[in-house]
Amino acid sequence: MGLVAGAYLIFLAAPIALLAIGSFGESWTGTLLPSGVTLRWYEQLLDDQSFRRAFFTSLKIVASTCALNALIGVPLAYAIHSSAKRGVRAAARLAALMPIAVPDLVLAFGFILVFSSDALPWLGSFWLLAAGHLVLTLTYTVSTLLADMEQLGLEKYEQAAASLGAGFFFRFRTVTLPMLRVGVLSAMLTVAALSIGEFQLSNLVSGFLSRTYPVVLLQAFYGATGFACAATIVLLTLATIAALSSSLTATLGERREASAT
Amino acid sequence: MSLSFERVNFLYPGARAGIFDATLSIERGELVAVIGASGSGKTTLLRLLAGFLKPDSGRVLIDGRDVGAEPPEARHLGVVFQSYALFPHMRLWENVAYPLRVRGVAREERERRALDMLRRVGMGGRENDLPASLSGGQQQRVALARALVFEPRGLLLDEPLSALDASLRMEMRDEILRVQRGAGVAALLVTHDQEEALSIADKVVVMSKGRLAQIGAPRDLYEAPATAEIAAFVGQSNLWPGVVVAPGLIEAPIGRLACVTKGRAVGEAVIALARPERLAPTDDTGGSNVFCGESVADRYLGPVRRVDLKVARGVVRLETHLRGAVRCVRIPPESIRLLDADPRLFPPE
Repeated sequence: MGLVAGAYLIFLAAPIALLAIGSFGESWTGTLLPSGVTLRWYEQLLDDQSFRRAFFTSLKIVASTCALNALIGVPLAYAIHSSAKRGVRAAARLAALMPIAVPDLVLAFGFILVFSSDALPWLGSFWLLAAGHLVLTLTYTVSTLLADMEQLGLEKYEQAAASLGAGFFFRFRTVTLPMLRVGVLSAMLTVAALSIGEFQLSNLVSGFLSRTYPVVLLQAFYGATGFACAATIVLLTLATIAALSSSLTATLGERREASAT
Repeated sequence: MSLSFERVNFLYPGARAGIFDATLSIERGELVAVIGASGSGKTTLLRLLAGFLKPDSGRVLIDGRDVGAEPPEARHLGVVFQSYALFPHMRLWENVAYPLRVRGVAREERERRALDMLRRVGMGGRENDLPASLSGGQQQRVALARALVFEPRGLLLDEPLSALDASLRMEMRDEILRVQRGAGVAALLVTHDQEEALSIADKVVVMSKGRLAQIGAPRDLYEAPATAEIAAFVGQSNLWPGVVVAPGLIEAPIGRLACVTKGRAVGEAVIALARPERLAPTDDTGGSNVFCGESVADRYLGPVRRVDLKVARGVVRLETHLRGAVRCVRIPPESIRLLDADPRLFPPE
């Protein structure tokens, strides 16, 4: 068991380690490891207009996707959860899961078909891209929150708050949202990680000025090896930060819930 | 400060369960316990009063005013839930102060009142703890404090003690009664524990299949149950189907029983009820209402033993503090109460 896990980790980590080494390597052609140490590739990356723009576009897309997820996902999950009819709940769950089952490519083609028309000429705009990321990630927000609501037994606390005199908005603000805090945070970080790395849809839907980092990254592979490594490392760092904080909040949440029982 | 139901009907959508024709009133300072088998509708009754469910017909009244259409937050009733439902992200004093915060009470005053209430339920000094650090009994106390701090028009308790272990349950039972009496508030207690109901309630309601089968003082309910079904549900009982064979005499599976047959005609089918603690073992082996048989079960319960004697075609259950073998039992005629025959309990052969 341990051997398999170790082999798996090496298999997973070795390319990343090589990328990290490569990004500081002076030259790297035909050898196992590069020769010389330099920060040149990072400096070049910093100077590159299109990479800088893409980096900030990605950050903006991630922020917008998270914000939209919170604004739409929380009420949506809440509505599904408190819907009395089982049929409604099942249908809503199915609808929310669709984007996982359908390849990103299908969604992208749909976007191209609909939004390149004269009536809706929004292909290539920032907000269309953000909307695409929202569709791809919303399901994670909704399913995370639904699981959280069920596990917490949310309606019990809402009934308690109501019996104590709190109207819907007051109890939503003072009981529902605070209790869902950890769930929302961990959902947002998952969404951020997904959004940072998203390539398929972004590549097809983004315009020339709204390209995200992974889309531009593809070009780096046609240039110098060190440059490509450095560009990839930047993306990996971002994704790792999001993933780590996501699992950290999830762990914190579990600890909180464990101590609550 | 009274709570009442007037001919309330409620049916769960798509089900045949609900509440049928419920009429009940709880006066200020009174504690009414609702007991019944699970699924009998006792929690439904509480949820109708709390406002989590709306009646299909009839009226739910608080202080004589129909509140059937009002949401729970407009009813000013303190509810203690089975699981307590303390808000996990709030400190104890914030939990208790929550209903005051809803009502716009200034922070200083609500803190003062919350601390005072926590002291009254014996949780003083713990105000800054989080609910997760409390035991079940302690959470129960805080939930009670939170339900009473805003001087509600009624207190609703939904199986508040079922999650506690037996010894703590007794203690909390007295505690609830003390706090409820102190607040002088009308209270509805839903419980599946009949002993709990008998011991603290002013009035006990027995529910069966969504109907209020009997409402009465604990003593009346136990001594004079309206039907054999209620007698079987409340406390231990001997129930023998029988027929009146002569004035003052019935024929039962255990033999001929002398008892008061006033109001019953000769030939009428009845059910005889006798509580096990009213029966006494005897050394006599014959005579009026003395039955001998073989002990088929002998349960040691600490202060008493509960013995089942197989007699003729029936069984006599008795309780005794004596430790010797039990062979014969005397059933005093005045301990027997005749109830209407019930074909569901004893189908005709």
